[in-house]
Amino acid sequence: MTDGLDPVIHAAARLRITATLATIPVGDRISFPRLQELLEMTAGNLSTHLRKLEDAEYVGVTKTHHGRTPITYLELSTAGRRAFEDYTDTLRSLLGGTS
Amino acid sequence: MSDNEALEDAPLDPAGMLALVEAQQRTVDRTMLAPVPWLYGIWGTAWLVGFLLLWSAWDGGNPWFRVPGVAAGIAFAALIALSIVASAVLGSRINRGVRGGSDFPGLVYGVSWSVCSVAFFGVGAGLAVNGADPALLSVYFPSAYGLMAGTLYLAGAALFSSRSQLVIGIIVLGVSAGAPFAGQPGNNLVMAVAGGGTFLVAAVVAAIRLRSTR
Repeated sequence: MTDGLDPVIHAAARLRITATLATIPVGDRISFPRLQELLEMTAGNLSTHLRKLEDAEYVGVTKTHHGRTPITYLELSTAGRRAFEDYTDTLRSLLGGTS
Repeated sequence: MSDNEALEDAPLDPAGMLALVEAQQRTVDRTMLAPVPWLYGIWGTAWLVGFLLLWSAWDGGNPWFRVPGVAAGIAFAALIALSIVASAVLGSRINRGVRGGSDFPGLVYGVSWSVCSVAFFGVGAGLAVNGADPALLSVYFPSAYGLMAGTLYLAGAALFSSRSQLVIGIIVLGVSAGAPFAGQPGNNLVMAVAGGGTFLVAAVVAAIRLRSTR
């Protein structure tokens, strides 16, 4: 039972990813390695969860090159940011309702 | 998916999920802001040691020992230059891996320090060309440098929504504007103790705050 909580981010790993991306100002993107460092997740695990967030169009992906090294930058989309805010608002109201 | 990953994926109860959000965002803040106490500490040390050396270069300054004026000037410039390099390295770590809309404001802010330093130095050189006495210049340069730093801290406070930079900026402006009234070379002692001291206190406060977010 998810109590109306968005199933895309109602999973511990994806919630942590979304919470981290939400700290990056609107208009900025964060590189995959830096995001991985902030989350302390393996690259494979992070990629798997990012793909689910990308499929839901919550995360925008920009692929670029730094010299010859390919770098992937990630950002929360407007829908993703809204979903995260709705999710935390719902959590707070659930907690407020039970206390 | 491994057991560990499956566990990571499993939702907790609402309180647990909210705690997870808050813990993760604290981790991000702590990691991003980790260099801040070092930045303040480096500047505090540079100001304390640098201005004490300048104070020790004049008659009526340091009663315990004298430092040759040229050596004090070179040491001061070297301390400031080292601090600028250290700030650039540490500062770039704060926003490492983040690109986009904040690139331009960040670049302008970073370049402002060197551009403003040259401009304030230019006015001092202009005063010297117009016959200003070295003792008078030793009142101008510390305060001009402090006014520049204080003003840029206010800009940093606005740019990064940083209350600590706002407090530091206001104190440094006050110290720099007030230092000439201590008389020359006492103005350098004021800059060292009150100015350098402000940065060192800020370093300790920033370190305590970072620790308290654990």
